[in-house]
Amino acid sequence: MNGINLNALVLLLPELILVGMALVLLVGARRLRSAVRVAGITVVTAVAAGVAAVWVLGMESNLGYDSMFTVDGYSQFFKVLITGALALTTLLSVRFVVESGIRIAEYHALLLLACTGMMVASSAVDLLTLYLGLELTTLCSYILVGITVDRSEANEAAIKYFLLGSFASALFLYGIALTYGVTQTTNYEGIHEAAQAVRVLGSPGQMILLAAVALLLAGLAFKVAAFPFHAWAPDAYQGAGAPVAAFLAAASKAAGLAALGRVCLVALDAEDRVVAGVLATVAALSILVGSMLAVSQTNMKRLLAYSSIAHAGYALLGFVAATSAMATGAAVTEAMSTGDGAMGAVALEASALEMSAMEALASDGAAASMTYALLYVFMTLGTFGVLVGLGDRGECLDDFQGLAAQRPGIAALMLLFLLSLAGIPPTAGFTAKFGVLLSVVRSGHWWLAVLAVLCSVITAFVYLRVAVVMYMKQPEKDVPARFSWAVSSALAVAALVTMIGGIFPAMALMDGIFPDFVPVWAVPPGN
Amino acid sequence: MSDEYIGIGASFFLAGIIAVSMVILASTLGKKNPTRVKSEAFECGNSPFALPGGKLAIKFYLTAILFVLFDVELVFLYPWAVVYRDLGLLGLAEMGVFLGILMVGYFYAWDNGALKWK
Repeated sequence: MNGINLNALVLLLPELILVGMALVLLVGARRLRSAVRVAGITVVTAVAAGVAAVWVLGMESNLGYDSMFTVDGYSQFFKVLITGALALTTLLSVRFVVESGIRIAEYHALLLLACTGMMVASSAVDLLTLYLGLELTTLCSYILVGITVDRSEANEAAIKYFLLGSFASALFLYGIALTYGVTQTTNYEGIHEAAQAVRVLGSPGQMILLAAVALLLAGLAFKVAAFPFHAWAPDAYQGAGAPVAAFLAAASKAAGLAALGRVCLVALDAEDRVVAGVLATVAALSILVGSMLAVSQTNMKRLLAYSSIAHAGYALLGFVAATSAMATGAAVTEAMSTGDGAMGAVALEASALEMSAMEALASDGAAASMTYALLYVFMTLGTFGVLVGLGDRGECLDDFQGLAAQRPGIAALMLLFLLSLAGIPPTAGFTAKFGVLLSVVRSGHWWLAVLAVLCSVITAFVYLRVAVVMYMKQPEKDVPARFSWAVSSALAVAALVTMIGGIFPAMALMDGIFPDFVPVWAVPPGN
Repeated sequence: MSDEYIGIGASFFLAGIIAVSMVILASTLGKKNPTRVKSEAFECGNSPFALPGGKLAIKFYLTAILFVLFDVELVFLYPWAVVYRDLGLLGLAEMGVFLGILMVGYFYAWDNGALKWK
């Protein structure tokens, strides 16, 4: 029994801020009638939690609660990203909350609690903590999807999401159980060590461990909506309100990626050869299926849902590179340790060089995925933000007809986000794709890079079709209303990140520097 | 090793005796005054045989779900009570925080009229 350490409580400061405000909102639920005020409180809370997340990095000890929870650059990077997504979602949902007549305080409390779960998931270094965080997130997400109780499509979406989601949670839990059965621990470091021992001994436990790896990856792939666990996304996004769909597409996916990255790079790294293979397949199929199915969509939210499936695949590419580099590195180490006497000094030196190259590649790959998550969150929130601002005019593809003639500013903004989603320079989407493709090529997965580029062409068609409808068709509907200040400010932030994320790394590229957008303190995890 | 299980076996045995003896005592000593309603299977106020689609007051459901919610949460009090002395004052404070959060939920339900039997 380690007892309870009060200092460990400080590590939870960003989460505590969010939970505290959620509780205050619940207590005051019946007395808080102003949607603008509650949204303001939520944005301030999100910013405070983001600042706290960076501040906590300065703590001496970064591991708490019997090594179940860690605070490192990787987790805090994602926490800042999640709080940013929370703030933007809140701004986008001001009008949605008023118009749909949902309970104001409860809606924001659910957003805050969902973000708390995401933060816990990105800090988790124990499978049970991770499960706790992911469950908190998904339970809140189910309610958020169906929060407009009088709309039958929202109810349908929530039920579908709930059924598939609880099934995925069960798979994940089964994976945890099997992992525990083989390694006798749920702690990432412990799993890493035990799995290494299992692999060296080649005991029958390895087969069970591989089944556990498959189940864990299935559960996590559901959270990032990657093929073949993507089926819920189009229905859930379409049925949910546009701000909720934006939140699911941005924040939820980022948190899933954070969890997936740490599980693959720390806990399961003894099986990295297999993990890399599975991730490569999942990423390839997500990109392919997401792009192909997006082509025939006419509902904008469904279109963006399929595009988000493809983007999940792209974001995974960095982790594919990282895991396969770590697997190669481990193989080199093994060769060095077994062939110690037989190897000459030159061969040893060459191996050591290859080792450090592989380590660099692993960290670059993870950084590329983190960059992708960061830039993707803002460009997705921006695109959904335009849909939110347009209201009924943003539901279907045909509604965009002649938008450029009616509201040139809005059309230009939408074009910026669409170009970014398509990955055309000098927008953030190009930087993001360039990073993951570069790391995938360097790790030797040529076919994956070729496939990703080919599918980029397909998705470019999808996004540019919207642009064609906006710019080259005659308007048929009334001029949409101007965007409210809340939507405008959220879109300004998203557009700023989309532009900065495209221009500055492009300049770095000219100087030959790897274009990642991850701050120096946010080092990817690894053993 | 099997000594540890004697206590469990004894409690199973006692529980069985109590349950069986209550049934026997009630059926032999009890006064019998059957009516049609009393002879039906007991289903917490619902008609035991009904086609689906019949009306059901939502207040039963609401009360039941609230009961299950708080009942399950309070299960955490038992393991805490076992190690109470080891945890000391800080453990008490932590349980206070836990119950405080639980009470926020209770207050929320109360505040929104979930406890009104209307």
